[in-house]
Amino acid sequence: MARRSRAAVFAIVVVVAAALAGAAKPQSDQLTIYAAASLTDVFPALDSSQRYSFAGSNALETQIRNGAPADIFASASPVNTQRLFAAGLVDKPVTFTANRLALIVPKDNPADIHTVYDLKRKPVKLVIAGAAVPVGGYTRTVLKKMGLTSVLAKVVSQETDVRAVAGKVALGQADAGFVYVTDARSVADRVTVIKIPAWAQPRVRYEIAIVSKSSKKAAAQAWIKNLLSKKGQAVLKQFGFLPLPPA
Amino acid sequence: MNRRRFVASAAGAGLATLSGPWGVAAAATDDDFAFAYFGLSAEYLLADFYGKAIEAKKIDREHLNTLKTGRTYARQHAKSLTDLLVGGGTDAPTAQDFDFQWPKAVFADGAKALETGETILGTLQGVYQTAAATSTEPTFRVLFASLASASAQQVGLLRAIAGRPEAEPFPVALDLEAASDAIDSYLG
Repeated sequence: MARRSRAAVFAIVVVVAAALAGAAKPQSDQLTIYAAASLTDVFPALDSSQRYSFAGSNALETQIRNGAPADIFASASPVNTQRLFAAGLVDKPVTFTANRLALIVPKDNPADIHTVYDLKRKPVKLVIAGAAVPVGGYTRTVLKKMGLTSVLAKVVSQETDVRAVAGKVALGQADAGFVYVTDARSVADRVTVIKIPAWAQPRVRYEIAIVSKSSKKAAAQAWIKNLLSKKGQAVLKQFGFLPLPPA
Repeated sequence: MNRRRFVASAAGAGLATLSGPWGVAAAATDDDFAFAYFGLSAEYLLADFYGKAIEAKKIDREHLNTLKTGRTYARQHAKSLTDLLVGGGTDAPTAQDFDFQWPKAVFADGAKALETGETILGTLQGVYQTAAATSTEPTFRVLFASLASASAQQVGLLRAIAGRPEAEPFPVALDLEAASDAIDSYLG
Protein backbone atom coordinates (compact mmCIF):
# COMPACT_ATOMS: atom_id res chain seq x y z
CA MET A 1 0.00 0.00 0.00
CA ALA A 2 2.82 2.35 1.02
CA ARG A 3 4.59 1.49 -2.24
CA ARG A 4 1.39 2.36 -4.15
CA SER A 5 1.13 5.74 -2.34
CA ARG A 6 4.72 6.60 -3.11
CA ALA A 7 4.13 5.71 -6.76
CA ALA A 8 1.06 7.92 -6.85
CA VAL A 9 2.89 10.86 -5.28
CA PHE A 10 5.76 10.39 -7.72
CA ALA A 11 3.31 10.38 -10.64
CA ILE A 12 1.70 13.61 -9.42
CA VAL A 13 5.11 15.26 -9.04
CA VAL A 14 6.04 14.23 -12.58
CA VAL A 15 2.75 15.58 -13.98
CA VAL A 16 3.10 18.91 -12.13
CA ALA A 17 6.72 19.27 -13.20
CA ALA A 18 5.77 18.55 -16.79
CA ALA A 19 2.96 21.12 -16.60
CA LEU A 20 5.32 23.76 -15.19
CA ALA A 21 7.86 23.04 -17.90
CA GLY A 22 5.19 23.58 -20.53
CA ALA A 23 4.03 26.88 -19.03
CA ALA A 24 7.38 28.64 -19.30
CA LYS A 25 10.22 28.12 -21.73
CA PRO A 26 13.17 26.54 -19.90
CA GLN A 27 15.92 29.10 -19.35
CA SER A 28 18.34 27.03 -21.41
CA ASP A 29 16.17 27.35 -24.55
CA GLN A 30 15.56 31.06 -24.22
CA LEU A 31 17.40 33.34 -26.63
CA THR A 32 18.86 36.66 -25.54
CA ILE A 33 18.06 39.17 -28.26
CA TYR A 34 19.67 42.60 -28.34
CA ALA A 35 17.53 44.86 -30.49
CA ALA A 36 17.22 48.49 -31.53
CA ALA A 37 14.89 50.53 -29.33
CA SER A 38 12.52 51.03 -32.27
CA LEU A 39 11.79 47.28 -32.18
CA THR A 40 10.53 47.45 -28.57
CA ASP A 41 6.89 46.81 -29.45
CA VAL A 42 7.16 44.54 -32.45
CA PHE A 43 9.62 41.86 -31.33
CA PRO A 44 7.71 40.78 -28.19
CA ALA A 45 4.53 40.79 -30.30
CA LEU A 46 6.22 38.38 -32.69
CA ASP A 47 7.57 36.14 -29.92
CA SER A 48 7.05 36.92 -26.25
CA SER A 49 9.01 33.92 -24.97
CA GLN A 50 12.51 35.32 -25.53
CA ARG A 51 14.62 37.63 -23.37
CA TYR A 52 15.01 41.06 -24.99
CA SER A 53 17.30 43.97 -24.37
CA PHE A 54 16.30 47.16 -26.22
CA ALA A 55 18.54 50.22 -26.57
CA GLY A 56 20.25 52.38 -29.14
CA SER A 57 21.98 50.12 -31.68
CA ASN A 58 25.31 51.82 -31.02
CA ALA A 59 25.07 51.05 -27.29
CA LEU A 60 24.18 47.42 -28.02
CA GLU A 61 27.10 47.15 -30.43
CA THR A 62 29.43 48.33 -27.68
CA GLN A 63 27.98 45.81 -25.23
CA ILE A 64 28.51 42.96 -27.69
CA ARG A 65 32.08 44.12 -28.28
CA ASN A 66 32.55 43.95 -24.53
CA GLY A 67 31.36 40.36 -24.44
CA ALA A 68 27.70 40.74 -23.47
CA PRO A 69 25.96 37.34 -23.66
CA ALA A 70 23.64 38.03 -26.60
CA ASP A 71 22.54 35.41 -29.11
CA ILE A 72 21.08 37.77 -31.72
CA PHE A 73 21.69 41.43 -32.57
CA ALA A 74 19.07 43.43 -34.51
CA SER A 75 20.25 46.89 -35.48
CA ALA A 76 18.44 49.91 -36.93
CA SER A 77 21.44 50.53 -39.15
CA PRO A 78 23.72 48.26 -41.15
CA VAL A 79 26.66 50.28 -39.82
CA ASN A 80 26.53 48.59 -36.40
CA THR A 81 26.06 45.02 -37.61
CA GLN A 82 28.62 45.36 -40.39
CA ARG A 83 31.23 46.70 -37.96
CA LEU A 84 30.70 43.71 -35.69
CA PHE A 85 30.77 41.37 -38.70
CA ALA A 86 34.09 42.87 -39.83
CA ALA A 87 35.44 42.26 -36.32
CA GLY A 88 34.28 38.64 -36.40
CA LEU A 89 31.85 39.18 -33.55
CA VAL A 90 28.66 38.33 -35.46
CA ASP A 91 27.82 36.04 -38.39
CA LYS A 92 26.88 37.54 -41.74
CA PRO A 93 24.02 40.03 -41.17
CA VAL A 94 20.82 40.03 -43.23
CA THR A 95 18.41 42.89 -43.90
CA PHE A 96 14.97 42.22 -42.46
CA THR A 97 12.96 45.43 -42.70
CA ALA A 98 13.01 49.16 -43.43
CA ASN A 99 11.59 52.29 -41.88
CA ARG A 100 10.98 55.99 -42.46
CA LEU A 101 11.48 59.10 -40.42
CA ALA A 102 8.84 61.56 -39.29
CA LEU A 103 8.79 64.80 -37.33
CA ILE A 104 6.55 64.78 -34.28
CA VAL A 105 5.20 67.70 -32.28
CA PRO A 106 3.10 67.68 -29.09
CA LYS A 107 -0.67 67.70 -29.69
CA ASP A 108 -0.95 71.29 -28.43
CA ASN A 109 1.93 72.26 -30.76
CA PRO A 110 3.23 75.27 -28.76
CA ALA A 111 5.82 76.21 -31.38
CA ASP A 112 3.22 76.14 -34.19
CA ILE A 113 5.19 73.70 -36.35
CA HIS A 114 3.35 72.37 -39.40
CA THR A 115 6.12 71.46 -41.85
CA VAL A 116 9.76 70.51 -41.48
CA TYR A 117 10.64 73.91 -42.98
CA ASP A 118 8.95 75.60 -39.99
CA LEU A 119 11.91 74.39 -37.89
CA LYS A 120 14.03 76.97 -39.70
CA ARG A 121 11.46 79.76 -39.65
CA LYS A 122 10.31 79.62 -36.04
CA PRO A 123 11.90 79.53 -32.58
CA VAL A 124 11.75 75.92 -31.49
CA LYS A 125 13.13 73.54 -28.88
CA LEU A 126 14.19 70.54 -30.96
CA VAL A 127 15.13 67.13 -29.58
CA ILE A 128 17.00 64.55 -31.62
CA ALA A 129 19.11 61.45 -30.95
CA GLY A 130 22.89 61.64 -30.71
CA ALA A 131 24.91 61.34 -33.91
CA ALA A 132 26.14 57.82 -33.08
CA VAL A 133 22.59 56.50 -32.64
CA PRO A 134 21.14 55.33 -35.99
CA VAL A 135 18.08 57.59 -35.79
CA GLY A 136 20.37 60.50 -34.91
CA GLY A 137 22.44 59.86 -38.03
CA TYR A 138 19.32 59.53 -40.16
CA THR A 139 17.99 62.81 -38.74
CA ARG A 140 21.13 64.62 -39.80
CA THR A 141 20.80 63.08 -43.28
CA VAL A 142 17.24 64.42 -43.60
CA LEU A 143 18.35 67.89 -42.53
CA LYS A 144 21.26 67.85 -44.97
CA LYS A 145 19.05 66.69 -47.85
CA MET A 146 16.56 69.46 -47.14
CA GLY A 147 19.20 72.15 -46.69
CA LEU A 148 18.23 72.58 -43.04
CA THR A 149 21.37 71.72 -41.08
CA SER A 150 21.18 75.19 -39.50
CA VAL A 151 18.29 73.95 -37.32
CA LEU A 152 20.78 71.78 -35.43
CA ALA A 153 21.51 75.00 -33.53
CA LYS A 154 18.01 74.69 -32.06
CA VAL A 155 18.63 71.26 -30.55
CA VAL A 156 18.12 71.39 -26.79
CA SER A 157 18.76 67.72 -26.07
CA GLN A 158 20.41 64.73 -27.74
CA GLU A 159 18.99 61.41 -26.60
CA THR A 160 20.47 57.93 -26.42
CA ASP A 161 17.69 56.25 -28.40
CA VAL A 162 14.57 56.98 -30.41
CA ARG A 163 12.17 56.08 -27.61
CA ALA A 164 13.68 58.82 -25.46
CA VAL A 165 13.13 61.36 -28.26
CA ALA A 166 9.50 60.28 -28.67
CA GLY A 167 8.98 60.40 -24.89
CA LYS A 168 10.30 63.94 -24.53
CA VAL A 169 8.04 65.28 -27.27
CA ALA A 170 5.04 63.34 -25.97
CA LEU A 171 5.61 64.83 -22.51
CA GLY A 172 5.86 68.34 -23.94
CA GLN A 173 9.50 68.73 -22.88
CA ALA A 174 10.39 69.67 -26.47
CA ASP A 175 8.55 71.35 -29.33
CA ALA A 176 9.53 68.84 -31.97
CA GLY A 177 11.60 65.71 -32.52
CA PHE A 178 12.68 63.33 -35.27
CA VAL A 179 11.66 59.69 -34.81
CA TYR A 180 10.83 56.65 -36.92
CA VAL A 181 7.22 56.53 -38.09
CA THR A 182 6.87 53.32 -36.07
CA ASP A 183 7.79 55.14 -32.85
CA ALA A 184 5.43 57.98 -33.68
CA ARG A 185 2.66 55.36 -33.57
CA SER A 186 3.62 54.40 -30.04
CA VAL A 187 2.83 57.95 -28.81
CA ALA A 188 0.11 58.71 -31.35
CA ASP A 189 -2.38 59.87 -28.73
CA ARG A 190 -0.03 62.62 -27.54
CA VAL A 191 1.70 63.86 -30.70
CA THR A 192 0.95 65.05 -34.21
CA VAL A 193 2.99 63.49 -36.99
CA ILE A 194 4.44 65.70 -39.72
CA LYS A 195 5.52 63.92 -42.88
CA ILE A 196 9.05 64.23 -44.16
CA PRO A 197 9.10 64.43 -47.98
CA ALA A 198 9.92 61.14 -49.70
CA TRP A 199 12.84 62.72 -51.57
CA ALA A 200 14.47 63.69 -48.26
CA GLN A 201 14.06 60.32 -46.56
CA PRO A 202 17.23 58.48 -45.59
CA ARG A 203 17.75 54.83 -46.51
CA VAL A 204 16.74 53.21 -43.20
CA ARG A 205 17.60 49.52 -43.26
CA TYR A 206 17.49 47.10 -40.32
CA GLU A 207 19.94 44.22 -40.13
CA ILE A 208 20.02 41.17 -37.91
CA ALA A 209 22.86 38.77 -37.13
CA ILE A 210 23.70 35.86 -34.87
CA VAL A 211 26.37 36.68 -32.32
CA SER A 212 29.42 34.53 -33.06
CA LYS A 213 29.86 33.39 -29.46
CA SER A 214 26.24 32.26 -29.10
CA SER A 215 25.81 28.70 -27.90
CA LYS A 216 22.28 28.57 -29.35
CA LYS A 217 22.97 29.12 -33.02
CA ALA A 218 20.38 26.65 -34.29
CA ALA A 219 17.64 28.30 -32.23
CA ALA A 220 18.86 31.73 -33.27
CA GLN A 221 18.76 30.75 -36.94
CA ALA A 222 15.22 29.44 -36.52
CA TRP A 223 14.19 32.70 -34.85
CA ILE A 224 15.62 34.80 -37.70
CA LYS A 225 13.98 32.48 -40.24
CA ASN A 226 10.65 33.13 -38.52
CA LEU A 227 11.30 36.90 -38.63
CA LEU A 228 11.98 36.74 -42.36
CA SER A 229 8.95 34.52 -43.03
CA LYS A 230 5.63 35.81 -44.34
CA LYS A 231 4.26 35.67 -40.80
CA GLY A 232 7.18 37.65 -39.37
CA GLN A 233 7.01 40.24 -42.12
CA ALA A 234 3.26 40.59 -41.60
CA VAL A 235 3.80 41.40 -37.92
CA LEU A 236 6.42 44.00 -38.83
CA LYS A 237 4.02 45.55 -41.34
CA GLN A 238 1.28 45.61 -38.71
CA PHE A 239 3.56 47.80 -36.58
CA GLY A 240 4.26 50.18 -39.46
CA PHE A 241 7.58 48.83 -40.69
CA LEU A 242 8.21 48.66 -44.43
CA PRO A 243 8.59 45.49 -46.46
CA LEU A 244 11.96 43.94 -47.14
CA PRO A 245 13.65 46.34 -49.56
CA PRO A 246 15.10 45.08 -52.85
CA ALA A 247 18.67 43.84 -52.46
CA MET B 1 39.88 78.57 -72.69
CA ASN B 2 40.40 79.45 -69.04
CA ARG B 3 38.66 77.57 -66.25
CA ARG B 4 36.01 80.21 -65.67
CA ARG B 5 34.91 80.26 -69.31
CA PHE B 6 35.05 76.48 -69.49
CA VAL B 7 32.81 76.11 -66.47
CA ALA B 8 30.42 78.68 -67.89
CA SER B 9 29.86 76.71 -71.05
CA ALA B 10 27.21 74.05 -71.39
CA ALA B 11 29.86 71.59 -72.53
CA GLY B 12 31.74 72.37 -69.36
CA ALA B 13 28.70 71.47 -67.30
CA GLY B 14 28.48 68.05 -68.88
CA LEU B 15 32.15 67.33 -68.53
CA ALA B 16 32.30 68.71 -65.03
CA THR B 17 29.71 66.28 -63.81
CA LEU B 18 30.98 63.34 -65.77
CA SER B 19 34.65 63.68 -64.98
CA GLY B 20 34.38 64.90 -61.42
CA PRO B 21 33.82 68.30 -59.82
CA TRP B 22 36.50 70.72 -58.75
CA GLY B 23 36.54 71.35 -55.03
CA VAL B 24 32.78 70.86 -54.78
CA ALA B 25 32.79 69.57 -51.22
CA ALA B 26 34.49 72.69 -49.94
CA ALA B 27 32.39 75.26 -51.76
CA ALA B 28 28.88 73.85 -52.12
CA THR B 29 26.29 74.96 -49.59
CA ASP B 30 23.51 73.08 -47.84
CA ASP B 31 21.06 74.57 -50.33
CA ASP B 32 23.13 73.43 -53.32
CA PHE B 33 22.97 69.86 -52.08
CA ALA B 34 19.27 70.15 -51.25
CA PHE B 35 18.44 71.28 -54.80
CA ALA B 36 20.53 68.43 -56.18
CA TYR B 37 18.80 65.84 -53.94
CA PHE B 38 15.37 67.08 -54.94
CA GLY B 39 16.31 67.25 -58.63
CA LEU B 40 17.70 63.73 -58.59
CA SER B 41 14.56 62.30 -56.97
CA ALA B 42 12.31 64.15 -59.43
CA GLU B 43 14.38 63.01 -62.42
CA TYR B 44 13.91 59.38 -61.29
CA LEU B 45 10.20 60.12 -61.03
CA LEU B 46 10.19 61.65 -64.50
CA ALA B 47 11.97 58.65 -66.03
CA ASP B 48 9.40 56.38 -64.40
CA PHE B 49 6.61 58.60 -65.72
CA TYR B 50 7.88 58.36 -69.29
CA GLY B 51 8.24 54.59 -68.98
CA LYS B 52 4.68 54.20 -67.72
CA ALA B 53 3.33 56.58 -70.41
CA ILE B 54 5.09 54.54 -73.11
CA GLU B 55 3.68 51.27 -71.71
CA ALA B 56 0.16 52.68 -71.41
CA LYS B 57 0.04 53.55 -75.15
CA LYS B 58 -2.54 56.29 -74.60
CA ILE B 59 -0.46 58.97 -76.30
CA ASP B 60 -0.42 58.93 -80.11
CA ARG B 61 2.21 56.62 -81.50
CA GLU B 62 3.73 59.44 -83.57
CA HIS B 63 4.95 60.98 -80.28
CA LEU B 64 6.61 57.81 -79.01
CA ASN B 65 10.09 59.10 -79.82
CA THR B 66 9.45 62.27 -77.81
CA LEU B 67 8.58 60.14 -74.78
CA LYS B 68 11.55 57.84 -75.26
CA THR B 69 13.91 60.78 -75.64
CA GLY B 70 12.43 62.38 -72.53
CA ARG B 71 13.10 59.20 -70.57
CA THR B 72 16.69 59.06 -71.84
CA TYR B 73 17.28 62.68 -70.87
CA ALA B 74 15.79 62.15 -67.40
CA ARG B 75 18.18 59.25 -66.85
CA GLN B 76 21.10 61.33 -68.08
CA HIS B 77 20.12 64.16 -65.75
CA ALA B 78 19.89 61.70 -62.86
CA LYS B 79 23.37 60.43 -63.68
CA SER B 80 24.79 63.97 -63.73
CA LEU B 81 23.19 64.84 -60.41
CA THR B 82 24.39 61.57 -58.88
CA ASP B 83 27.93 62.35 -60.00
CA LEU B 84 27.60 65.83 -58.55
CA LEU B 85 26.43 64.54 -55.16
CA VAL B 86 28.93 61.72 -54.96
CA GLY B 87 31.69 64.07 -56.10
CA GLY B 88 30.61 66.37 -53.28
CA GLY B 89 31.22 63.59 -50.79
CA THR B 90 27.61 62.62 -50.10
CA ASP B 91 25.48 59.55 -50.79
CA ALA B 92 23.02 59.68 -53.66
CA PRO B 93 19.74 57.77 -53.68
CA THR B 94 18.95 55.33 -56.46
CA ALA B 95 15.61 54.88 -58.26
CA GLN B 96 15.10 51.70 -56.20
CA ASP B 97 14.92 53.82 -53.06
CA PHE B 98 11.53 55.13 -54.19
CA ASP B 99 8.14 53.50 -54.36
CA PHE B 100 6.49 55.78 -56.92
CA GLN B 101 2.77 56.24 -56.43
CA TRP B 102 0.73 56.91 -59.55
CA PRO B 103 -3.02 57.39 -59.28
CA LYS B 104 -4.71 54.91 -61.66
CA ALA B 105 -6.26 57.69 -63.68
CA VAL B 106 -2.90 59.20 -64.66
CA PHE B 107 -2.15 56.74 -67.43
CA ALA B 108 -5.73 55.87 -68.31
CA ASP B 109 -5.90 58.59 -70.92
CA GLY B 110 -3.33 60.56 -72.86
CA ALA B 111 -4.47 64.03 -71.82
CA LYS B 112 -4.21 63.22 -68.11
CA ALA B 113 -0.78 61.65 -68.61
CA LEU B 114 0.49 64.71 -70.49
CA GLU B 115 -0.86 66.99 -67.76
CA THR B 116 0.96 64.97 -65.09
CA GLY B 117 4.19 65.00 -67.09
CA GLU B 118 3.88 68.74 -67.46
CA THR B 119 3.42 69.12 -63.69
CA ILE B 120 6.60 67.18 -62.97
CA LEU B 121 8.61 68.98 -65.63
CA GLY B 122 7.24 72.39 -64.65
CA THR B 123 8.20 71.69 -61.04
CA LEU B 124 11.68 70.64 -62.07
CA GLN B 125 12.09 73.67 -64.29
CA GLY B 126 10.95 76.01 -61.52
CA VAL B 127 13.23 74.54 -58.88
CA TYR B 128 16.25 74.39 -61.22
CA GLN B 129 15.68 78.10 -62.02
CA THR B 130 15.85 78.94 -58.31
CA ALA B 131 18.85 76.68 -57.86
CA ALA B 132 20.72 78.31 -60.75
CA ALA B 133 19.90 81.76 -59.41
CA THR B 134 21.04 81.07 -55.85
CA SER B 135 23.93 78.62 -56.09
CA THR B 136 27.34 80.12 -55.54
CA GLU B 137 29.24 77.00 -56.57
CA PRO B 138 29.97 77.15 -60.35
CA THR B 139 29.76 73.40 -60.91
CA PHE B 140 26.30 73.25 -59.37
CA ARG B 141 25.11 76.52 -60.90
CA VAL B 142 26.01 75.64 -64.48
CA LEU B 143 24.40 72.22 -64.26
CA PHE B 144 21.23 73.63 -62.67
CA ALA B 145 20.93 76.22 -65.46
CA SER B 146 21.38 73.54 -68.09
CA LEU B 147 18.77 71.33 -66.43
CA ALA B 148 16.30 74.24 -66.20
CA SER B 149 16.69 74.81 -69.92
CA ALA B 150 16.28 71.11 -70.76
CA SER B 151 13.17 70.86 -68.56
CA ALA B 152 11.65 73.91 -70.27
CA GLN B 153 12.22 72.33 -73.68
CA GLN B 154 10.50 69.15 -72.56
CA VAL B 155 7.58 71.07 -71.09
CA GLY B 156 7.16 72.71 -74.49
CA LEU B 157 7.19 69.35 -76.26
CA LEU B 158 4.51 67.87 -73.98
CA ARG B 159 2.37 70.98 -74.38
CA ALA B 160 2.67 70.74 -78.14
CA ILE B 161 1.47 67.13 -78.04
CA ALA B 162 -1.45 68.17 -75.84
CA GLY B 163 -2.31 71.03 -78.20
CA ARG B 164 -1.62 73.72 -75.61
CA PRO B 165 0.50 76.88 -76.01
CA GLU B 166 4.10 75.71 -76.00
CA ALA B 167 5.86 78.67 -74.45
CA GLU B 168 5.39 81.22 -71.70
CA PRO B 169 7.25 84.50 -71.21
CA PHE B 170 8.31 84.07 -67.58
CA PRO B 171 8.20 80.51 -66.23
CA VAL B 172 7.70 80.59 -62.47
CA ALA B 173 10.67 79.84 -60.20
CA LEU B 174 9.89 77.60 -57.22
CA ASP B 175 11.51 77.17 -53.85
CA LEU B 176 12.10 73.67 -52.55
CA GLU B 177 9.12 73.66 -50.23
CA ALA B 178 6.65 74.53 -53.02
CA ALA B 179 8.32 72.10 -55.40
CA SER B 180 8.20 69.35 -52.80
CA ASP B 181 4.50 69.97 -52.18
CA ALA B 182 3.81 69.75 -55.92
CA ILE B 183 5.16 66.26 -56.55
CA ASP B 184 5.95 64.51 -53.25
CA SER B 185 2.75 62.48 -53.37
CA TYR B 186 4.09 60.75 -56.51
CA LEU B 187 7.42 60.00 -54.83
CA GLY B 188 5.83 57.69 -52.27
